[in-house]
Amino acid sequence: MRKNSIIAVFMALPALTGLTLFVAVPFLIAVFLSFTNLRLGSPLPTEWVGHQQFVRILSDESVLRAILNNVVFAVSVVPIQTALALGLALLANQRLRGVTLFRTAFFMPVVFPMSLVAVVWSLIYAPGVDGALNGLLHQMTLGAWAAKDFLHDPALALPAIILMSIWQGVGLQMLILLAGIQSIPDHLYEAASIDGATAWKQFWHVTLPQLRNTLITTVFITTILAFRLFDQIYILTQGGPNNATTTIMFEAVTSTFRRQQVARGAAITVVFFLMVLGITMVQRRLSQEVVDA
Amino acid sequence: MDLRRAESARRLRTSTALCLIYLVALAGCGGGSRPPEIADRTLVTVWMHSGQEPERNTIVDQVNRFNESQDEVEVSLTVIPEGSYNAQVQAAALSNDLPDLLDFDGPFLYNYVWQGHLLPIDDLLPEEIRNDLLPSILKQGSYRGNRYSIGTFDSGLCLYANQSLLAEVGARIPQTIDDAWTVEEFDSLLEALAKKDQDHAVLDLKVNYTGEWYCYAFSPVVQSAGGDLIERNTYQKAKGSLDSPEAIEAMKHIQAWFQKGYVDPNLDDRSFIDGRVALSWSGHWDYNRYHENIGDDLVLIPLPDFGEGSKTGMGSWNWSITAKAQHPEAAMKFLEFLLEPDEVLAMANANGAVPATRTAIAMSEKYKNDGPLDLFVRQLEKSAVPRPATPAYPVITTVFERAFQQIRHGADVQETLSDAAREIDQDISDNQGYRNLR
Repeated sequence: MRKNSIIAVFMALPALTGLTLFVAVPFLIAVFLSFTNLRLGSPLPTEWVGHQQFVRILSDESVLRAILNNVVFAVSVVPIQTALALGLALLANQRLRGVTLFRTAFFMPVVFPMSLVAVVWSLIYAPGVDGALNGLLHQMTLGAWAAKDFLHDPALALPAIILMSIWQGVGLQMLILLAGIQSIPDHLYEAASIDGATAWKQFWHVTLPQLRNTLITTVFITTILAFRLFDQIYILTQGGPNNATTTIMFEAVTSTFRRQQVARGAAITVVFFLMVLGITMVQRRLSQEVVDA
Repeated sequence: MDLRRAESARRLRTSTALCLIYLVALAGCGGGSRPPEIADRTLVTVWMHSGQEPERNTIVDQVNRFNESQDEVEVSLTVIPEGSYNAQVQAAALSNDLPDLLDFDGPFLYNYVWQGHLLPIDDLLPEEIRNDLLPSILKQGSYRGNRYSIGTFDSGLCLYANQSLLAEVGARIPQTIDDAWTVEEFDSLLEALAKKDQDHAVLDLKVNYTGEWYCYAFSPVVQSAGGDLIERNTYQKAKGSLDSPEAIEAMKHIQAWFQKGYVDPNLDDRSFIDGRVALSWSGHWDYNRYHENIGDDLVLIPLPDFGEGSKTGMGSWNWSITAKAQHPEAAMKFLEFLLEPDEVLAMANANGAVPATRTAIAMSEKYKNDGPLDLFVRQLEKSAVPRPATPAYPVITTVFERAFQQIRHGADVQETLSDAAREIDQDISDNQGYRNLR
């Protein structure tokens, strides 16, 4: 037993070293910096300012709006994307000719870099009837659709980002869930069909319970990724219009690199870390209850 | 300021990330040493941003010509990618590895001086060159009473207009800066143009650009109305300037243009050359492209007058001698060479910008008196406003850009501008007024 744990520590060492060097240490530095007034390239001495940065960011309208946007984004993306991924996984699991083609097609957006996806979607969302989406809606409604500037409309910008993010991200969850579905033993389905279970009942009483752990993992990953929302914002909206799409990551990056206020950026990332930590802990608690039930 | 500037400002933000890594990595390193002389010739190390290919080729040629033209000074050039340029300069400054001479984007000057990296060049610059330079070059290179930098070219803004589209609504075409359209005149012109236009969008404000463009292109609006980004005697307060009644009034006009649908989103950057709009609010860098497509219908008009006369932006890349240069006078020799009329012209022809000296301007087909781009020169002589000479500029430009976007999307103008002013003032007081440290 004792020997085993020594080996375990030894095996974990490379990963632990990486985590310490590239995650723990930078984070501790960020915590330290968030209590100072460090500014990029400032010749003034760096001073200890206590919790001033936190007071400021938590009374800053943009940061509060960013937190709200992140929550709205996560609350809409996580359930929709997971449900959609499950549906796609079920479809992609059918034994049909050319199903690999579908799998590839659904997974493709995940492989594309977000910067490329964002540029493509900026053309889809282009204002006026020249824009792909506007043009489509215009055609479908026989001209009744009034063209909208999706990315610059305070009410539509965040939903537009949500839609494209789901399209881009759904393939990854689909793949994880597909692997989960395929690892469900066939004899469970055979037994169920001998008992006369319909396809719907098989899904409800065999597939879903068997997928529970996979689903929980998927929801975890999607939630964390949802809070890291940045690339599409940076490229498509720059947080606008009127902060409608700003996010915590976007605020942290602009504070640090555009305004050169390193301490403020550090404080935002500390708040961000605590939020994600809190949410993950709540999710863990909830999912354990589901598993135990 | 040119197209690439807006682009580079954006890339800069991401690449400054490198700087932080350098901060840690370089903290323990001492300064490097290098031989100051190579065989009787004084070595001058020079850094330049890579720019566009013609620009890069030109500077390499210029260095070769300079090294061959005399045997006292040897210039050694390092071309550095534009994306991470400021980060590299900051890192080099920390490790004491700055070159003798370097170029940088205009508004960085004040930060670099504040950090103590640059050498005043008042005593080094020959008087005949100083007298030949455009006033805008002299203005933007000065900080707190000293001159630190010189550009070999400058920039400017104007309204490009399609003459035949203007003729359809019987618009008056201003010939001089004093003659610029008043904002009321401009408002009704937009209305008249929109009536004839299928989608009512008749004006291109380059809202497809990001970053520095907004402060560069639209702070002249505030200044033309009698406001400013910051109070310019002490550079300590934005409150009272950026949120003055004049500034609010001016920005309300811009907001109205958006709300009435006059502004083309210009996603493809072709709204003007495809004839979708009659007017394009842009800079000298668009002339060649516009002229190729519009031909003789193209006319250059000063920006509208919001009350105190038409104003425009200015400023581009600048050269400075660093504080650590061991032979400043040798570095100045190279700078003098770059400011010779033929050399100024060679660079201006390569990048299309306004030549910095009057002699070179007189020799330029495009910029000479009565040349097609003569307006830019007249503006730099008369109506161009330098960006605020303060290390707070990175914050000012970010805050102004955000305010512009909010106003564009219908936010209350007064509230937006007074929030923006408060944010700038907060930064200034956080940095103890950016007081002089040396």
